[in-house]
Amino acid sequence: MLVEITAVIRRDKVAPTMRALDNLGLGSMTIATVSGRGRQGGNIMTDIDREVPAEYESVSKITKHLTPASFALSHSLTRPVFWVPKRMLTIVVPSPMKDDVVDLIVSTNQTGWMGDGKIFVSPIEESLRIRTGERGTSSI
Amino acid sequence: MKMIRAIVRPEKENDVVLALEAKGFPAMTKMNVFGRGKQKGITVGPIHYDELPKVMLMIVVEDNESPAVIDVIRQSAYVGYEGDGKVFVSPVTESYTIRTGTRSE
Repeated sequence: MLVEITAVIRRDKVAPTMRALDNLGLGSMTIATVSGRGRQGGNIMTDIDREVPAEYESVSKITKHLTPASFALSHSLTRPVFWVPKRMLTIVVPSPMKDDVVDLIVSTNQTGWMGDGKIFVSPIEESLRIRTGERGTSSI
Repeated sequence: MKMIRAIVRPEKENDVVLALEAKGFPAMTKMNVFGRGKQKGITVGPIHYDELPKVMLMIVVEDNESPAVIDVIRQSAYVGYEGDGKVFVSPVTESYTIRTGTRSE
């Protein structure tokens, strides 16, 4: 039985995550460049673009609005970030290893701030190594 | 939970995102992909295009919310011509928020 672990994480956490997974003996993964937004619906660019000062008083009202980004746009606060650049790791592992991998990803990626990302676990019905035609657990 | 993957026209991406946001689904992941459908691409004059740029939106929602999300995508991504895209729904057994480490099923 195989499971697919899809983790959407910060860009600068890809290398630490890969190193940590290497230590666990799981080197294989697929990395994709994606853009993401969470429950907050984007963000406001303050740390990245320091030349445009954010009006913090107005920022505190943001929770009453649809998303921080749409509020920022309508009030010309500062540059809204509708999409945050992220990396998506897709790792297929045997189901007994699932908890180890999830714990590892959580512990390496946790900063405590919004935008740490999500992990989704879903079942894989079939897996095949193209070179040899092996199926199931031996194919990964 | 269900993972909904919608492959839509790049020019319709904004409409879809705003429609989902208005219905209370602001969280999603998007990626630029290339695809072709049943028509094997399109032929414009002498040139055949079989890698058509599309945007894939990935949204994970509760089981009971997935029909609503699919409806919103159908309405907002609809043009009426070939190439409007597809929506795929697959199961997600559990999900984790990395910031807090909380697990939800």
